[in-house]
Amino acid sequence: MGFEYMYGAYSVAWVVIFGYVLIIGKRHTKLKKEIEFLKQLDK
Amino acid sequence: MNQMRTALFLAKKDLYSELKTKQILVTQIIFAALVIVVFSFAFDPANNTTKAVIPGVIWVIIVFSGILGLNRSFISEQRNDTIQGLLVAPMEATSIYLGKFLANFTMMLIVELVSIPFLFLLFDFKFLGSIPYFILVIFLGSFGFIAIGTFLAALAANSKSSEMLLPLLLFPITTPILIGVVQATRIILTNMEKFSSALAWIQLVTAYDVIFFVVCFLLIDYVLEV
Amino acid sequence: MSMNLEREKEVLVGSQLAETKKLNLSSILYVGTVISMLVALYFIFIYAAEEKTMGAAQKIFYFHVSSAWLAFMAFFVTFVCSILFLIKRKRIFDTYAYVSAEIGVVFTIIVLTTGPIWAKSSWNTWWVWEPRLITTLILFFIYVAYIMIRQMDGVWDKKARLAAVFGIIGFADVPIVFFAIRWWQTKFHPIVFGDGPSQSGGGIEGTMLTALFVSLAAFTILYSYFLYKGVSFENMKIKVERYKEKLREDLDK
Repeated sequence: MGFEYMYGAYSVAWVVIFGYVLIIGKRHTKLKKEIEFLKQLDK
Repeated sequence: MNQMRTALFLAKKDLYSELKTKQILVTQIIFAALVIVVFSFAFDPANNTTKAVIPGVIWVIIVFSGILGLNRSFISEQRNDTIQGLLVAPMEATSIYLGKFLANFTMMLIVELVSIPFLFLLFDFKFLGSIPYFILVIFLGSFGFIAIGTFLAALAANSKSSEMLLPLLLFPITTPILIGVVQATRIILTNMEKFSSALAWIQLVTAYDVIFFVVCFLLIDYVLEV
Repeated sequence: MSMNLEREKEVLVGSQLAETKKLNLSSILYVGTVISMLVALYFIFIYAAEEKTMGAAQKIFYFHVSSAWLAFMAFFVTFVCSILFLIKRKRIFDTYAYVSAEIGVVFTIIVLTTGPIWAKSSWNTWWVWEPRLITTLILFFIYVAYIMIRQMDGVWDKKARLAAVFGIIGFADVPIVFFAIRWWQTKFHPIVFGDGPSQSGGGIEGTMLTALFVSLAAFTILYSYFLYKGVSFENMKIKVERYKEKLREDLDK
């Protein structure tokens, strides 16, 4: 009883959390690229 | 008291320049009239159930035409490059805030004075409640709305797209006022038996007005830093 | 104009861009988050008793409440850091306030999506105009506006100052919003703690309470992990900006 609601709610929660983690990761890679570029420039 | 004098001075300056150009006031009043016309299309004035939405319509008019005026109050200073002058002038940030608030509040009251009778006229609304309390509610609601609105307009003026930013900042913050005054107006206009709960709403709005007026006063120094 | 956005502070001394990672705290928090989340899931799905009237749908409650708790805590941190920033004017407080607000918004989204699912399962309607739900919605809008202030262009300390002011005003607004809406609408939520009026489904069983507290703890650790990660990322970004500034100065010479 009520299983579909439970699955729905928990999958939404995890999608949001992992989506946020993904966004953080994307920002990190962007910054890393920039740092690499700057290091190249420094040499 | 010196603060009050400079504030009055600034308000006078704003109102004088408004009197010369009549730009904002005319726009606000025409806008209010247009909102009323749009509402008459959305809700049939001949229909009796429409009376129930009148309290809400009053506040929609006030809020939307108020936003127009608030947007202008600091942007116009920026466009004329006078904001720096205001900031370095020998007056406190609180005086600037108070002066702007007084000017905006006066204009808001004028807009209400014109548009609310116009609304009652067009929708053929029969006034049943008490007029003094109705005026009190309008006064308190606009006071709080303009007080916090002027503050956030000063804050948003730093952004390039401040016209778009201001409503986003202002509406969530003013929800308690909007809920309170719409409820109080509804009771006063249509159902005077429940007057005690209207009083409770008026108290809530008054408390909000006081709290936020004080908070804005304390924080305006940080917003209007050079 | 964009040339000297970071000029307010002195240009980074020395040109080191070495990523000064404090591996320890980060990895401890990471492991802690994973373990506590797994434990919380065990407690929620296996340990806690199933509610009689609502069945499995009741288990939404644990994540819903924990997310709400996390969001409120995050906004409180933003509030405190905003005040501290206005007093001390240290950039680190501003960074904490910003990162915390962002995490808060993310978890408010969870609250606002699981809430209607709960409502649908127990009251058979997606959205109820209920004090806590509307307050959360308003809270969401306030902090989205807060983040929009951060997206403004200009020198960082102006943005930080304005955002701090709005963070204080926004947080002060929350209790008033709540009471206003509570007066406006009667309550829908069952009273979980303490003696509620005799509502079926009100009151909470011992195992459920344990599961709730475990998931609250797990979310708190998750929050500190996100906060730590976000702050160290922002610090790195600031460093890179300063380094770029230094490069520009060198080029100008």
